[in-house]
Amino acid sequence: MTSASAPDEALVLAAIEQVWGSMLYASAEPWPADRPAEFESGLQAQIELRGEWNGRLVLTCDSEVATQIAGAMLGVGPDEGLEQPDVHDAVGEVLNVVGGSVKGALPGTSALGLPGVSEVTAVPSRGESFVVSWGDAPVYVQIVPDAA
Amino acid sequence: MRAVIVDDSRAMRRIVGRILGDAGYEISEAGDGLEALAVLEGLESPPELACVDWNMPVMDGLTFITEVRKRPEWRSITLMMVTTESEQDRIVRALAAGAHEYLIKPFTGEAMLEKLDLLGLLPTSTGV
Repeated sequence: MTSASAPDEALVLAAIEQVWGSMLYASAEPWPADRPAEFESGLQAQIELRGEWNGRLVLTCDSEVATQIAGAMLGVGPDEGLEQPDVHDAVGEVLNVVGGSVKGALPGTSALGLPGVSEVTAVPSRGESFVVSWGDAPVYVQIVPDAA
Repeated sequence: MRAVIVDDSRAMRRIVGRILGDAGYEISEAGDGLEALAVLEGLESPPELACVDWNMPVMDGLTFITEVRKRPEWRSITLMMVTTESEQDRIVRALAAGAHEYLIKPFTGEAMLEKLDLLGLLPTSTGV
């Protein structure tokens, strides 16, 4: 089953708002639909959910945004320098915690995989994702059910 | 006091390490349960506290706690699960395996210190 108990946008957004607030000391707002979301290259984190709903959560953001998220999480200023593995790890852990919150709200018993992070040069289309703000920048979130 | 932080996320180890370090703990780290067992075996005496993630590669946190509880010489270690696993049955499983406390991610530093205070494991006054 992939649809009956699928996490919806509101649930995932609530989890993101919780994580942004408690781990990153920031607020997450829906990105205005009519506002362009520029992107050149960045990071994409993915985590699998297995249970009554099977699929994955995907978070994609610009490299600079990823560095800012890692800095906020670790309390590291922009001039202190974060190494790339630290940025990858921090973004993966953010999605891990978001995934944990989503999993806890789903019916039945679900299992969460381990997060994976890779570099990407394109973002999902607006039709495949919803967008939340990190400050003045977009973060793309996808709820991707397994292929039937 | 000493603590071992067991989490596959370097970022999370750093966050927990800062909270515990500010509270006066000496910190050791491990990226999974198996590595944490090796860390414990390398210490002259057991630490007062281990903060343990659940979902990790190689050896998960529940297995690590089970292994620690098999060793009488590590009986004094207080085990705190620090994890995204928030379902009641998971919490019950962890406590049944031998965890003393359970902290769900995301958490605040204050929440962690409150747990330690309840356990009598705050080495310094932090104003909590």
